[in-house]
Amino acid sequence: MVRSALRTALGAGFMAAMMASASAQVLEIGVDNGPTGLDPHLITAFPSFMVVNGNIYEGLTAIDKDLKTVPGLAESWTVSPDGKTYTFKLRQGVKFHDGSAMEAEDVVATVKRLLSKDIASPLASRLSAVDSANAVDATTVELKLKEPSAALLSSLATIAIVPSAMETNKDALQKAPVGTGPYKFQEWQPNGFILLTKNEAYWDKGMPKLAGLKFNIVPESATRQVGLSNGQYALLPNIDAATALQLKGKPNVKLSETMDLAYTLIGMNTSKPPFDNPKVREAVNYAINRQEIVDAALFGAGVPGGPLSPALKSWALNVNQFACYKPDPAKAQALLKEAGVATPVAVSMKVLPRQDIKDIAQVVQEQLNKAGFKVELVNQEQGQFIQDWRNSNFDMFASINAGQPDPDDYFYRTFRTGGSTNVFKYSDAEIDGLLDQARTLADQAARKTAYDKVQQKLACSGPIAHLTYGTLFSAMNSKLQGFDTMPNRSLLMLRNASY
Amino acid sequence: MSRLAKNKLLAFAVILVAIQIILAVGAPLFAPYDPMAQSVARRLRAPSELNWFGTDQLGRDVLTRILYGYRTSLIACLLAVGVALLAGGTLGLVAAYYRGWPDRIIMRFMDVLFAFPVMLLAIGIIAVLGPHTYSAAAAIAVVYTPIFARLLRGPALVLCESEYVAGARAIGASDARIIFLHILPNLASVILVQTSLLLSAAILVEASLSFLGLGTQPPTPSLGLMLSEGRNFLLLSPWSAIFAGFAILFLSFGFNLLGDALRDTLDPRLRGQP
Amino acid sequence: MNRVLIARLIDLVIVLFGVSVIVFLMIRMIPGDAVAIMLGANTEITPERMAELNRRVGLDRPIVEQYLLWAGNALRGDFGTSLWTGRPVSSEILLHLWPTLELTFLALLIGAVLAVPVGCLMAQTRGGAADVAMRVTAIAGLTIPSFWLGIVLILLLSSWAPGFASLGYVPFSEDPIGNLQRMMLPAFALALPILANLSRLVRSAMLDALGQDYVRTARAKGLAERKVVYKHALRNALIPFLTSVGIMTGYLLGGAIVVEQVFAIPGLGRLILGAIAERNYPLIQATILVVTAGFVFVNFLVDFLYIVVDPRVRA
Repeated sequence: MVRSALRTALGAGFMAAMMASASAQVLEIGVDNGPTGLDPHLITAFPSFMVVNGNIYEGLTAIDKDLKTVPGLAESWTVSPDGKTYTFKLRQGVKFHDGSAMEAEDVVATVKRLLSKDIASPLASRLSAVDSANAVDATTVELKLKEPSAALLSSLATIAIVPSAMETNKDALQKAPVGTGPYKFQEWQPNGFILLTKNEAYWDKGMPKLAGLKFNIVPESATRQVGLSNGQYALLPNIDAATALQLKGKPNVKLSETMDLAYTLIGMNTSKPPFDNPKVREAVNYAINRQEIVDAALFGAGVPGGPLSPALKSWALNVNQFACYKPDPAKAQALLKEAGVATPVAVSMKVLPRQDIKDIAQVVQEQLNKAGFKVELVNQEQGQFIQDWRNSNFDMFASINAGQPDPDDYFYRTFRTGGSTNVFKYSDAEIDGLLDQARTLADQAARKTAYDKVQQKLACSGPIAHLTYGTLFSAMNSKLQGFDTMPNRSLLMLRNASY
Repeated sequence: MSRLAKNKLLAFAVILVAIQIILAVGAPLFAPYDPMAQSVARRLRAPSELNWFGTDQLGRDVLTRILYGYRTSLIACLLAVGVALLAGGTLGLVAAYYRGWPDRIIMRFMDVLFAFPVMLLAIGIIAVLGPHTYSAAAAIAVVYTPIFARLLRGPALVLCESEYVAGARAIGASDARIIFLHILPNLASVILVQTSLLLSAAILVEASLSFLGLGTQPPTPSLGLMLSEGRNFLLLSPWSAIFAGFAILFLSFGFNLLGDALRDTLDPRLRGQP
Repeated sequence: MNRVLIARLIDLVIVLFGVSVIVFLMIRMIPGDAVAIMLGANTEITPERMAELNRRVGLDRPIVEQYLLWAGNALRGDFGTSLWTGRPVSSEILLHLWPTLELTFLALLIGAVLAVPVGCLMAQTRGGAADVAMRVTAIAGLTIPSFWLGIVLILLLSSWAPGFASLGYVPFSEDPIGNLQRMMLPAFALALPILANLSRLVRSAMLDALGQDYVRTARAKGLAERKVVYKHALRNALIPFLTSVGIMTGYLLGGAIVVEQVFAIPGLGRLILGAIAERNYPLIQATILVVTAGFVFVNFLVDFLYIVVDPRVRA
């Protein structure tokens, strides 16, 4: 392992880094998918984010292990009393990988780049509340908002700061990223690997401890598992329970786990029968046995979940508070009768092509069929699934979504009438009112009250039957220290890792 | 090889294929369980008295699903090769019979289809149709069509020149009658051999496509899909993947051996050739 | 001979033109558009932003215009750039070409080199049970699913020789030993059906040769038996061998797609599957065209060699 890593490292041509710290090593990481691009403002796929965010790039803020918003490139910030002006004090002595200093004008350029029509960043909506950005001095930035935004600070953690020279450049960063993070880009062989090396000039002295990161793209799960147990790879980040179970107890392998922010769900189209009827949606919730799903598809590693992840301790309601979470096929049948629909209710369910989702879909199919439904599974290729999802072309679908650290981020765009990811065409005046109100509230307790009501209503008759929150695992060589799995699947902790 | 050994081999191949077809057709009779019945408590079990081949990740009986999987794979492949034979055969015979422009246009088009590597064209076709058992079957049918067209055109050309066909023409038989009643029967042995060999290959292609997630989709049991699902649990319980792999091997092997033995028996000119 | 070659060359051009048309039409029929897929499910975006992204990658133009642009450039050897990364498609293909070429070449080499002794050995035992056993084994080798074999091999190796790096890919030029070490298993998994096929060819050619008059004559003249048999039989086996190389190249390319997936080799198969998944039109078009052209060309070469080797075809 050491020898082959050395050989690869030498071959890749960064002898200098190896010699500078003879003990430090390049960490061999096995991942299932490679990035599709490296421009932090143009990527949307998770495999790209995983490589780029936190390793190559940093935002003004950061999300820590407990999903709290902490300082990132901004050392501190103040918010005006009306909640419409944010003033950020930037960290001093931060340098981009090209050697130039990171200053206020870079932050301003980043915001402009993100909002520019020409760049057409898909992340633009995260800054939709921002009206303007300006540099007060070299280390002070002021963001003016159109309206108060409770989720702004956590959103900023995902907005990578790029050099101001890149403001109008559409291509350069896709191939060769320039950030401020602990690792800098070295080489990318599509479908092979992506190699990052230590940023010697990183602002946080003593970090990172590794000589570099090599993300090996290995599509086969069995192959990754063998690679970890024979020492060829030292880390398989963010794996599911089935994979973790197989690696448990293997020599030289240890696991780290956390509650996943991502949730599995059944989505229902509320714009056409039968799911336009809230009673039918309620029947679905009664028919589903969430604990059984956890046991069957997640190998017991997970919990039944409501609209918010239990990882969001300060927001999520306990699922015991939702009546429909007690599985009751008879009650489901009764609800269908009340709704006046002909049973069995024949519907098709589109399935996201992932093994865990395919398994969940099969379990849910069995459960629904026992409670007056007749579900046909439609397994689609990823592209087709996404297309149908975006065009609301489904009765129901089974999928998994990445969760957000702030409830507004998720709720507003998903359940608000006309929300940008409200593909269910869900529209409810009470929910709309609560969501509009909650996003402008500054008081945590008042927000919590509003979101409690939202959760209560959405849980049983909303357009989404939230199923489970899994336990998220990472498997690693037992020599790897200082790395932990994070609920949002970020690999931020790789800066602390040593091997 | 002696006549006796040859016949024995053919008999062995026929029996091997027949057993597997009977198992597939009679799956509901032979299968000990419901192929869809899940049981979390009994998942990923090793072979035992209750489950001879173990259970899969959702606790379904592997033996049962293999029996039903034989069905899916056989239906898909018989359909695919059948359609290819029908389309390719017709095109090849028409090309040979009419010669001239029809021949040139048809065979050029077949050349173009034949130019694609099998898997590549199949993957492209499934990308258009969406992943499904029948998409895989359609893709296999398309890629095998030129093979039958080319296979039948050659001998048909020779037959068309024969006095036998000239005689039929002289007594006023229609073109269709000549093609299907006079030419086709003479090609029966070539067709039989090639169909059997292509069935063997089609089973492997279907399995490869399912392995890539492009063929049969859950919860329908299929051999390729079982292998594909089972491979995610190899270190924990390799049984589903191993037995599904063997089932694919036996099925493909049976048809290949059958084709091989048939060729020996029916076509003395090809004796000894692989 | 020249006339035959020229006719084949014209065929080649027509076939390639047909292939390019089919590839283009097929890709336009794949449902789902690139921008929507790049965004993924559950990404929020306004319709205006979608339109902007479409314009960015030039997908808002009429299809005919897109095709003419692409075909014109392709003729000049410019396949455009990959949709999102902006890398030139030609360099993407080159990058992925070597692992696949190496894999198929090694598989063919292993199959061909082992086929001679195995085939000869098989020819030694003739008749009855041994004959049947040989045949059954060969057919089993031919019908074993290579991806399944690959996974089984990985598992076996990991338990027998833990620590042996067998996954992924390093270029031969950087690390010859590491390269061969990693290519061994996938090449073997791919080579087995070829070995099965070729060894049967060698065997039947040997048996034929032993029965031929000229071999008997040669033997009568007192030449060493081994030399006689090898020289004549192998020469005889050459022609069916060449014919099957064309067919086997197609098999190898197909097999490589799946085996690359299992062994994490960054080859053309992975490139094509990835490109289709993200609807990277320029990349899919060029890759399928290049691979198919390569396949057609190999078959053309086979025909050419066939003419050279077998004087009868020249007439």
